[in-house]
Amino acid sequence: MLSRCISRAYSTSLPKPPLQLVAQLRKLTDVSITKAREALIASNNDVNAALQWLEKDLAVSGARQAAKVEGRDAREGLIGISILSSGSASNSIIGSGGIRAAMIELNCETDFVGRNTLFTQLAADIAHTAAFISDPVDSGCLINPCPLDLLNDAPLISHITPHSHQSSTVSNSIRDLIAKVGEKVSLKRVVTVVQPPAPRQATLGLRLGSYMHGSMGSALQGRIGGLAVIGIQSQELSSQLSSEPFMRDMEKLERSVARQIVGFETKSIKIDSSRQDGTALYEQPFMMLGGEAANETVRDGLDKWGREHGLRGNENDGIEVLEFAKWTVGEVVE
Amino acid sequence: MFRLAAQRAVANKIASSSRAVKSTTLFARCRTATWKPSSAPSLPSVASWGARRSYADAASKFSRAKPHMNIGTIGHVDHGKTTLTAAITKVLSANGAAKFTDYSQIDKAPEEKARGITINSAHVEYETGNRHYGHIDCPGHADYIKNMITGAAQMDGAIIVVSATDGQMPQTREHLLLARQVGIKKLVVFINKVDMISDPEMLELVDMEMRDLLSTYNFDGENTPIIMGSALAALEGRDDEIGAKKIESLVQACDEWLDVPPRDLEKPLLMPVEDVFSISGRGTVATGRVERGIANKGDEVEIVGLGATFKTTLTGIEMFHKELDRGEAGDNMGCLLRGVKREQVRRGQVIIAPGSMKSVKKFQAQIYVLTKDEGGRYTPFMSNYRPQLFLRTADITVSLTFPEGTADAEDRMVMPGDNVEMICDLVHDVAAEAGSRFTLREGGRTVGTGIVTKILEEA
Repeated sequence: MLSRCISRAYSTSLPKPPLQLVAQLRKLTDVSITKAREALIASNNDVNAALQWLEKDLAVSGARQAAKVEGRDAREGLIGISILSSGSASNSIIGSGGIRAAMIELNCETDFVGRNTLFTQLAADIAHTAAFISDPVDSGCLINPCPLDLLNDAPLISHITPHSHQSSTVSNSIRDLIAKVGEKVSLKRVVTVVQPPAPRQATLGLRLGSYMHGSMGSALQGRIGGLAVIGIQSQELSSQLSSEPFMRDMEKLERSVARQIVGFETKSIKIDSSRQDGTALYEQPFMMLGGEAANETVRDGLDKWGREHGLRGNENDGIEVLEFAKWTVGEVVE
Repeated sequence: MFRLAAQRAVANKIASSSRAVKSTTLFARCRTATWKPSSAPSLPSVASWGARRSYADAASKFSRAKPHMNIGTIGHVDHGKTTLTAAITKVLSANGAAKFTDYSQIDKAPEEKARGITINSAHVEYETGNRHYGHIDCPGHADYIKNMITGAAQMDGAIIVVSATDGQMPQTREHLLLARQVGIKKLVVFINKVDMISDPEMLELVDMEMRDLLSTYNFDGENTPIIMGSALAALEGRDDEIGAKKIESLVQACDEWLDVPPRDLEKPLLMPVEDVFSISGRGTVATGRVERGIANKGDEVEIVGLGATFKTTLTGIEMFHKELDRGEAGDNMGCLLRGVKREQVRRGQVIIAPGSMKSVKKFQAQIYVLTKDEGGRYTPFMSNYRPQLFLRTADITVSLTFPEGTADAEDRMVMPGDNVEMICDLVHDVAAEAGSRFTLREGGRTVGTGIVTKILEEA
């Protein structure tokens, strides 16, 4: 209110916008000095009107800037994960009992921008949006790529205040960030895992393990991210899943598997006789489980864990890593 | 004896920074071990040294007369860092103080980028009235930190480049944070592209905002020189008022505001002990290469590290078979120590000016973990990893943990290629200070390299 009064006073006496207002507008929006000044001139030094002007202009100038940087190399940035529900026995608000998660890679040109909060927040919001809007895909796979066109046109949902309705779409938000930081920002790839909850008496449960390496602020953003879908088969699954100690151990195991995948060069899950170079998860020493597990393979470690936790009613009972995804920032994707 | 020499050669390579491969080690040793009657090999090596010297002199005329300083440009990709660098060399080349280096030569060739050469440090250099500058570009946070730790690039001061049309940008904060993190205390700001702005009053705002931001990140916002000009104008040789003249004032501001790091000679004495001999009739002699400072015959010195710290007097200095009164940084010399038994001095200790350094047991360090391709580990490691730490001539088992307050420290891992801040807990104490470099080795291979950032526990 005060600013409006000031601006009115100035607008009658001065033809060009006063510094204070330009500074104020910049604090509010992070736009360039030239833009802030232009906005104030166009709106007769009224800050609120200038904000509206900027919002409209951002679409044009952001698109122009985006076109300018289009051909550049953007290999920095981060991998972001959003997990709304981590599988059987989860009590999340959305997708309870099932899996609902997403992993994204958002790129920029320098890691200075990659470390900025504007960038990290946008990455978190996009990951959240992807996890939120995706539908189960009938593809025979658990981890599925999310079509970028679909996500780009989706309204961006804030990961902090999911209920506030933002008018901006994902692609518009990326464009706005380009206008603010002046670097190429691009959404390179997105995968989602969406599985409905299993029936109550099912003997097969699905859980999602995740690990993020090289995180700076949030543990869900970093340089190398891993997701692993883990199947758990047991005759007494529902009672085991409702046991607190069992779930605590289960979560530790899930995380260890994800860490193992991220920490070691992992290209496949099962041992492939044609390629015995230690890149199959099951033949690696299970260093990430800690303790004695470092001396046995992941496969043996999972079996042992299953025996110790009562998964032995039936011959198919046990733990199996079904699928995984491991991404490194800036890596070349075939 | 041969085994010893070989071990020493290895240790020397490790203890020195990865870049400073000392070609002198071999014949230098011939010169140092002169307390015993020594044989011929020193002669031919001295001759070859002479030959090398004259060759280098003919190739370039790098003068040591002026203090040297490394300076870096930090800024947004489009704000004109490369143009500014080219402009500086152009303006200074007018009076022969630099070789004009054009964009194309500064901007890294694509094949260099592909090979992962992120910072090209030796590329651009220039001189002012009283200083010699080496100029680097700082392309990214992680890249710079890695280069700093490995010793490939070092900024003693920095020029922050900001475009007048944009003003500071969101990532300018990250630029200042990097400068802070790597210990740069003073900056100079160059506001570029002033000819592209229609309202000169806006420059006041850029200035004001920049000073504000500098103060927020604990720089001296009030007194930091902010120069406004156009690097392009200087490069194209037009509008001298905002072009060449501003480049001159920028360089002058660097000269006056940025502090030159003290030269090795001006620092207190430090000589890592490489070897210890007992010479009958004379006493105990410690040999090594003086890392910094000056040693005078008769000086009181302190021997520090590996559990023992005591004072003694330098009763003799010897180099090239001759007795000297003085040895200085870079010299390989032997010191005769008064009243010291051979068992009291060991490889890994240092001989220093009394009180100039402490022996430490625990410190915080910034570590770069070598990738598989760089000869490092294949697999990650966790908290409590115990490699060997090589610091100068010392070789000590160290336990690495995450600093207090690290989230998920229990299951956090460190992977090859990471830059990490870690706590180093040593089995024995060793002389070290903030800025000391070290390497980490395990099973005969170098797995990491680091730089001490903070001393946590003295011996």
